[in-house]
Amino acid sequence: MSHDSGNIADFGMDTISLAGPLEAKLQAVRDAGFTQIMLAARDLVGHPDGLDAAVAAVRASGLRVTGFQVLRDFEGLSGHLHDYKVDIAKSMLEMCHALGCRLLLICSSTSVHASGETQALVRDLRKLAMLAIPMNIRIAYEALSWGRTVNEFPQAWELICQADMPNLGLGFDSFHMVATRTPLDELEMLDPDKIFLVQLADFMWTEIKSVEERIATARHFRVFPGEGVHSADLAALVSRLHSLGYRGDYSFEVFNDDYQQMPLPTVAQRARRSALWLGEEVLRRSVPLPNRIRLKRGLDVGTT
Amino acid sequence: MNTPRQAAAADREAIAEAANPLGLDGIEFIEYSTTRPQALGQVLEMMGFRPVARHRSREVLLYRQGAINVIVNAHTPALPAAAGLEDKPVIAAVALRVRDAAAAYRRALERGAWAVPSRVEVMELNIPAIHGVGTSRIYFVDRYDRFSIYDVDFVPIPGVDPHPPAVAGLHFFGVVQYIGNDRAEDWSEFYRELFGFTELPAEQRFGILPKGRILRSPCPPASRFYIQLIEPEAGVLDVEDDETLQRIGLGTADVLATVAELGRRGVTFVESRGVHTEDRGALTNTWLGSVSFELVHDERG
Repeated sequence: MSHDSGNIADFGMDTISLAGPLEAKLQAVRDAGFTQIMLAARDLVGHPDGLDAAVAAVRASGLRVTGFQVLRDFEGLSGHLHDYKVDIAKSMLEMCHALGCRLLLICSSTSVHASGETQALVRDLRKLAMLAIPMNIRIAYEALSWGRTVNEFPQAWELICQADMPNLGLGFDSFHMVATRTPLDELEMLDPDKIFLVQLADFMWTEIKSVEERIATARHFRVFPGEGVHSADLAALVSRLHSLGYRGDYSFEVFNDDYQQMPLPTVAQRARRSALWLGEEVLRRSVPLPNRIRLKRGLDVGTT
Repeated sequence: MNTPRQAAAADREAIAEAANPLGLDGIEFIEYSTTRPQALGQVLEMMGFRPVARHRSREVLLYRQGAINVIVNAHTPALPAAAGLEDKPVIAAVALRVRDAAAAYRRALERGAWAVPSRVEVMELNIPAIHGVGTSRIYFVDRYDRFSIYDVDFVPIPGVDPHPPAVAGLHFFGVVQYIGNDRAEDWSEFYRELFGFTELPAEQRFGILPKGRILRSPCPPASRFYIQLIEPEAGVLDVEDDETLQRIGLGTADVLATVAELGRRGVTFVESRGVHTEDRGALTNTWLGSVSFELVHDERG
């Protein structure tokens, strides 16, 4: 790594920002200088040559898999709905394991069929974490801002604490925090070792007025950090997480319809610019020594 | 749970009394899988085991000494994809004695265990199993008192004592499990949540290999056994996937006498600067690239 390449090792792209086949996405992300990528189940099962070929392509890319997404509407169900979702979860875990990925992302439930009872939610999160233990997978639980019961990260954190499983932690998406205007001070309650993933995204609107608009924005109009109007918020967030002791991965969770119709290298370069801004200007990361050894603690965040 | 709580032994007052949610009552058998059943059989016979029965439909032998049952499975799975048998024997399963196997199995699944699909032949017992570490399985057995699982699935080998005595009072003491980096908490939670194991304080150690974390089964004292979790040596970073049941620990009241007796049978023990035979325990040399036994001083012998 030369001096002018900058240090973006803490940041990764997400395949959801890119159009095209898996191999092209992997290539674009790698060519832009990233060392890690967040994958979705669709990337694997939608591969024309099947799951094994997709896994082989990911392994051949040399990119580390930041995490695998996303399990939805899992917690709080009962009876046959619960059994059905457990099967889905097992399938996700098996794919995650096949990838050699150590992290599965789960979003808080939006289902009207799900109970909001704390005890039921905690029980199900414990069960999911237990399913993941033999496979050496960690579960990152994220508060979706339109989640039915859990829609802000302090609520997700509360359940994680109650579930008290070593491999269950927080998945933190800046979009939801900024959109719901959750105060930054709330971060202080978190144990940095139990933040398993931080996803970052900016967006173009100053204000989001309704839940519907929030969902539409989240799914179609996100941009890379520094490209929207919430750059200052994101810089403050990343600095705060850093001073809290968070040393895990940052993944750009950027859903954007425009990026879906742009050449992959163009989008990846935008992501790179964003990573450079955060790494060099916000976190002021030094360029690491060649062949540096990360401590075990850092490695266990997502080693493949 | 409605299980009576056990009184902690006087020398173990530091440990909180543990409930025994499954009515766990020791290890029924440990199963090796191997493509070299005869070579492994020779090792087991040297260690004092005797072949006593043969499986009705598969290439599986039951070895026994005293109350220790060891199954040697050389059966090749029908599906090529599942043909995971390697040259080196591996500990493929641990069967736990429980009060009610069906209830134990259901409880484990409710809490997030992975079921192993059963593949029984006609007239064989359907022994419920969940996935354990690596490719291993954990069976639940509740027929071990008046009638045993071997009565159904195995045919006695003619002319052989079905209950050969144990060499020097050997009995199951525990299992050593190798785990990945930073995995001690995960596996402790696995055994605590699913079976009611409790963690021993760091100063309480058995045998001559005091590494790692020791989990105590909630069994009554007579059938109690331990699982020892061992992480890679510091600085070893690329063995993440090597999680496996590594060896069996056998208890004996007199380690040195047992070592002498086994020595006469041809068993050799590790004598190195770090590990050597003493009152507290001993470690056999490794056979077939993977099979070793640890002796641990334990008065129950």
